[in-house]
Amino acid sequence: MIEFLNLLQQMSIFLIIAYLFSKSPAFKALTGEILLIQHQVLLYFIFTGFAIIGIYIGLPAYDAIANSSPIGIVLAGLVGGPALGLGVGITAGSYALYLGDWSALGGIDLLSSVIQGGLGGFVSYYYQQHNKSEQLFNPLVAMLVTLAGVTIHMILVLLLAHQDVAEIAVPPHLIIPTLLANPFGAGLFMLMMRDQKTMIDRVGAIFSARALKIAERSLGIFAHGFNPDTARQLAEIIYDETGVGAVGISDRQTILAFVGIGDDHHLSGINVASPQTKLAIEENRVIYADGFKERFKCALSDNCPLGSALIVPLRVDNEVVGAIKLYEPKDRLFMNLNRTLGEGIAQLLSEQLLRYRYENQKNLLVKSELKLIQAQVNPHFLFNALNTIVAVVRKDADQARSLLLHLSNYFRKNLKRSGDLATLEEELDHVNSYLVIQRARFGDKLRVEQDVDPQLLNARLPTFTLQPIVENAVKHGISNMLGAGTVKILAYKDDQKMIVSVADDAGAYCEKLNSDGLGMNIVDKRIKSYFGSEYGTEIDCIPGSLTKVQLTFPYEKEELS
Amino acid sequence: MIRTLIVDDERHAREELSALLQELGNIEIIGNCSNAMEAVKAINHDKPELLFLDIKMPVLDGFDLLGMIDEENMPYVVFVTAFDDYALKAFDEKTLDYLLKPIDPERLAQTMKKVNRALASNEPQSYQPLQLNRIPCTSAHHIKLIDPKAVEYVHSDISGVHVYTPEGSFYSELTLKVLEARAGLLRCHKQYLINPAQVDEIIPLENGMAEIKTVAGTILPVSRRCLHGVKVAFGLK
Repeated sequence: MIEFLNLLQQMSIFLIIAYLFSKSPAFKALTGEILLIQHQVLLYFIFTGFAIIGIYIGLPAYDAIANSSPIGIVLAGLVGGPALGLGVGITAGSYALYLGDWSALGGIDLLSSVIQGGLGGFVSYYYQQHNKSEQLFNPLVAMLVTLAGVTIHMILVLLLAHQDVAEIAVPPHLIIPTLLANPFGAGLFMLMMRDQKTMIDRVGAIFSARALKIAERSLGIFAHGFNPDTARQLAEIIYDETGVGAVGISDRQTILAFVGIGDDHHLSGINVASPQTKLAIEENRVIYADGFKERFKCALSDNCPLGSALIVPLRVDNEVVGAIKLYEPKDRLFMNLNRTLGEGIAQLLSEQLLRYRYENQKNLLVKSELKLIQAQVNPHFLFNALNTIVAVVRKDADQARSLLLHLSNYFRKNLKRSGDLATLEEELDHVNSYLVIQRARFGDKLRVEQDVDPQLLNARLPTFTLQPIVENAVKHGISNMLGAGTVKILAYKDDQKMIVSVADDAGAYCEKLNSDGLGMNIVDKRIKSYFGSEYGTEIDCIPGSLTKVQLTFPYEKEELS
Repeated sequence: MIRTLIVDDERHAREELSALLQELGNIEIIGNCSNAMEAVKAINHDKPELLFLDIKMPVLDGFDLLGMIDEENMPYVVFVTAFDDYALKAFDEKTLDYLLKPIDPERLAQTMKKVNRALASNEPQSYQPLQLNRIPCTSAHHIKLIDPKAVEYVHSDISGVHVYTPEGSFYSELTLKVLEARAGLLRCHKQYLINPAQVDEIIPLENGMAEIKTVAGTILPVSRRCLHGVKVAFGLK
């Protein structure tokens, strides 16, 4: 009984070491899914250390059999696989052999150490192969494997050693305590490691879940810009999800939003006052006032209950546009978790802001370019059209009336909002009004051929994609020819695509097409931004004989109905 | 009656202007042209006093046409344009007037008063001629634009003016006088212009005349009257 208690006493020393290990940074090596080489090496030294300590804290009188080295060896195999198990087994066994003065018994120790490491490694390998690696941290498994390892050792001693030596090595009254104590220790050790690992996983999971939730809820809010409205929405989300005392968001000068404790005097719309916030914005760095070494200094009220703060600058392209602030009141600690989370949120929001700015600029650019093209087209065409109509009135009032109606249709469509999709039929109607007027102007000089698959009339395309192409063909193509010219407009299906092509036989503006004063880029950009990069414009030009612009759009069968 | 030519590439525009002018009276429309080549031919042939000139026309615009007209034949020019971004440029050309399409009959009447005054004063019309950086020539249905640097020589005969280049010869409506003044070509004979850069040799003959051999080997006559000018041009006198 005394011996059993002794063994347990030694076990507890061992368990204290195990506990310290589980709290040390070295334990992190075990928390990953995959063991890297450097982690394997680290664990090799740690478990070899365990095994050797186990030899020393064994009962000195009874040699290695009653020691705790199997725990380190078996566990190394279990958590690290065959290589680690064998490595630790060989090293610890060799050390036992050395301690045993190269005796036969030492040899048996070496052999059984290797077997124990191999056994742990084999079990580990087996569970890995069967996708049950979570079983490796099961204390019961650790217990059973250790029991097997210790039993094998004992059998080896009894089989291989001389009887007298064996009796000293394995005193009958120690058989049971040894058989029980080591597996028990291994189980406890494993339980401790498993709990620690679970805790780390759980903290990680909580952190990830919160971060993801904030990311998900805040996604797209800054797509509406960085203003008091969006800032308020975000502040509320962060306040909800982190549970901090208060959340503030400011731009460079003013508080845009403030939610939580202290919102009676931290009002949105007033100027940023706290020196720490100003510093964070000016110096573009994170400022953390933990409440002990450095306190949060509220410049707005002497009775401000807030004591600690994390202030993270919001950056766009390395330029600080504002700051995001997390606060805790004086009677509460600022959690480390929230500190990391806060910095992560600021990073996330900064990226959203950058994206918003980029999108915004891109849209502005496309819109202004589009307006420019519309403006370019109009005056010359308008006055020439009117001039034609004035002349036609003399001879044919009906034709003049029809031309005026086409002209008004043309301008009405031109003035229509530019951001929408239209059907091919609507676009062709616009083009037709334009062509009717141009044919009245140029007479026989302008011939138009049109071949459109009627099934495509309901297909959708961005407004103002076909129109500028046809206008170019007339304005820069046919009207520059001395003789007559033909504009051909085709629309047909090609697999999953709709092809609309506009060709003229002037071939008069190849260079202009390449240098792009004609808005071909913007047509291409708009098609791509609606439908993706596989669609857009394609240009073919043979000077003096052909200019062909081909537009490709997606075509879906549903549009038939 | 003012002998008037209308140049516009659009039929309706020509007809409308023509109708408005008829209403005003004292105008004889001697022709309608739809491009600059037809116009230069008509001007050289019919010598109108007044020209209504559309600015935007295919291949050669109204300003190009001005550069193609022999100063002797230069009529009084009124520009007609649909949109006044060209108007400023028209003033630079010292055009006395311009009209905007659609044409306001009252505005046209005012313009005609000015035209009448200018024609009565009998001063020759002068528009600072532009240098021709392309020589327009007719070939079938196209207008061939020849870089003056590519010209070897120009020859005029009973059938007209022929511009010789390594590519072949092209018929031009422009007079030798216009080409001499505005295309950097040198007069060597009443019927010949030579591109000075293409001259290889000047061979003096006995009776005060000479011959020019071009780089390509063509022999061209140099008349007595022109020899002095040729020598000056090459720094020989």
